[in-house]
Amino acid sequence: MRSKCDKIERLLSDYIDGTLSERQRSVVAVHLRSCKACKRELVDLKKTNHLLENFYVEPEASDAYYARFTTQLQHRIEQSAPTALHQRLFAVTMRLGWQLFTQLHRGIDHSRLGGVLSIRQHAFPYYISGLTLTMLVVASLLLNQVSTHDDGGSMLGRLYGAAKIRFFSADSPTSVQPTAALAIRQDAAGTQPTGIHRSVGAGNVIQGMDFIYSQTKSPSPYRRPTEPPAIDSSSDVWLFTDEPMTEGYIFTTLQEGDSDTVPSAALDIDSELLAYAEIPAQGAFWERLTGRDVLTESRYALLLLQGMDGRHALQQYERKWSGFKDFSEKKLLDVPLETLSISEVYDSREL
Amino acid sequence: MERTEALLIADLCEGDETALAPLVEKYKRMVYRLAMQITKNHADADDVMQETFIKVYRSIRTFRKDAAFETWLYRIAVNEALNFVKRRERQRVTTLETASESEYEAVTRYRAQVANDPHAHAEKAELRHHVTKAVNSLSLKHRTVVILHEFEGLTHAEIASILNCSEGTVRSRLHYARKKLRTLLKPYVDASNV
Repeated sequence: MRSKCDKIERLLSDYIDGTLSERQRSVVAVHLRSCKACKRELVDLKKTNHLLENFYVEPEASDAYYARFTTQLQHRIEQSAPTALHQRLFAVTMRLGWQLFTQLHRGIDHSRLGGVLSIRQHAFPYYISGLTLTMLVVASLLLNQVSTHDDGGSMLGRLYGAAKIRFFSADSPTSVQPTAALAIRQDAAGTQPTGIHRSVGAGNVIQGMDFIYSQTKSPSPYRRPTEPPAIDSSSDVWLFTDEPMTEGYIFTTLQEGDSDTVPSAALDIDSELLAYAEIPAQGAFWERLTGRDVLTESRYALLLLQGMDGRHALQQYERKWSGFKDFSEKKLLDVPLETLSISEVYDSREL
Repeated sequence: MERTEALLIADLCEGDETALAPLVEKYKRMVYRLAMQITKNHADADDVMQETFIKVYRSIRTFRKDAAFETWLYRIAVNEALNFVKRRERQRVTTLETASESEYEAVTRYRAQVANDPHAHAEKAELRHHVTKAVNSLSLKHRTVVILHEFEGLTHAEIASILNCSEGTVRSRLHYARKKLRTLLKPYVDASNV
C-alpha cells in the first residue's frame, strides 16, 4: 500500500496543477477517496500553495533605482557601440607591443651574459614580432586614413532634409497604395539642391537606400543613377513620384564641396520641405510643412533639417559611428515620431 | 504614436537604439524581480538587469519572431541570474558580505508595503516574512522553478524551454520544492483553515 501511496504522492503536484492525463487523474482521484494519508498530503500541498500565493513578498526596487538603472544602461549601450577596424587594430597592436616589450625586458633581466647576447640568441621570434607589429601599425594608420576620408562627409554631405513618412488610409483598401513624392521648394533665385536620395521601406522594414535623382557634379560610386523625374520648370517645386509605398523614408543631401550651390532656402529657417501623397482611390492631397513642424497624427511625419551638417547628425545619433558603411540613414530617421522635435533634436545651433 | 512591441522589436533589429528604451520600461520590473529572487542580492540583480538588456540589444537579431518575446527575455534573464549565482558560489562570497546599501531599497519597499497596509497585523507580517524566507531557502534549482511557476505563472513547457531541460524535470523539481516548502511552513500549514 505504501508503494502505491508513494506513486500517487509523486503525482499530487501535477494533480494540483491540472497537468495529469485523464487516466492518471482518474487513478489519483480514486486513490484519494480511500487513502486519508494521501488526501491529507494533498490538502497540505494546497494550503502551502495558498500561503505562497497570498503571503510571499516579491522584491521590488524603488523608482529612483529604476531611473538610475535606465541611465546606466543607456551609458553602457553607448559605450558598447562597435568601434572602427583601425581602432581595434590599433588596440591589438598596443597590446602586442606591450607583451613584446615585457618579454624583451624579461630577457634582458634574466640573462647572465647581458641582455644583448640573450636577445641575439633568441632573435628570430623578436624579428617576427617586430615585423608583425610594424605591419599592424601601418595597417591601422592606413585604415585610419580611409576612415577619416569617409568621415569627411564626402558620401553623406550636408543633410538638407529628412522625412519619415507613413501613409494611413482606413478608407483605402490595402491594395491601393498611395504614391509618395517629395518636393523641395526652390529659392527665389532658382538654385537647385544638388542631390536627392530616397529610402523606401515596405511595411516596417527598410529595404535600403534608393537613389533617384542627382545633379551632383561628381557622383559618388555609391550612387545608382536612375532616370531623373520630370521637372516642371514652370513650378517652384520638384516632384519625385516613385513606386507605390505605404511607408517610406525620404531624405535629401547636399554633397560636400557643392556649398556654392546650396540653396539659400536650405539654410533658412523658413525654408520648406513639402511632402506630397496621392491616393489613387481618393484623389490627391497635399501637406505643406514649414520649418519647425512635425506632423505625427496625420498622414505625414516630416521634419526639416536646416542646413545641418550630416556629420553632426551622425555624432548625435550614431554616437560611436565609425564609418560610412556602418551608417544607416534609417537610424538617423528612425527617431520615434512622438519624440521628434527639430528644436530639441536637430537644431544645428545646439550641436 | 506608440509603437507596438512587434514594431519595437523590428526597429531594434534594424539597429534603432531608441526602440530599446520602451522595452526596458515595460520589462524592467519583471527582470529585476526575477533577478533578485534568484540571486537574492541587489548588486547581482542589478548586474543581471544590465547584462540581460545588453544581451537583448546585441542578440535581438537571433530572436525568432514566431516566439514570444517575453519567454525569450525570461530565458536570458534567468540564465544570466543563474550564472551570477554560480559565479558567486565559486567565489565563495556570501550574500551578506556583498549586501550593498542599495539593497535596502528593496527591503524598505517591503516594509513600507507592510506599514501602509491597514490590515497588516504583526501576525501577517510575520507570516509574510516566513513564507518569503522559506522560498528563499530553497535550493537554486527548486527556487527557480517555484518562482517561474508559482509567481511568474509560466507553464511547465515554458519553464522547460527557459531552463533547457525536460518537462519531467520541471515537474519533478516543482514536486520536491513544494514538499520542502510544506515542511518548512508546517506550523502555518497546520494552522491554515483553507
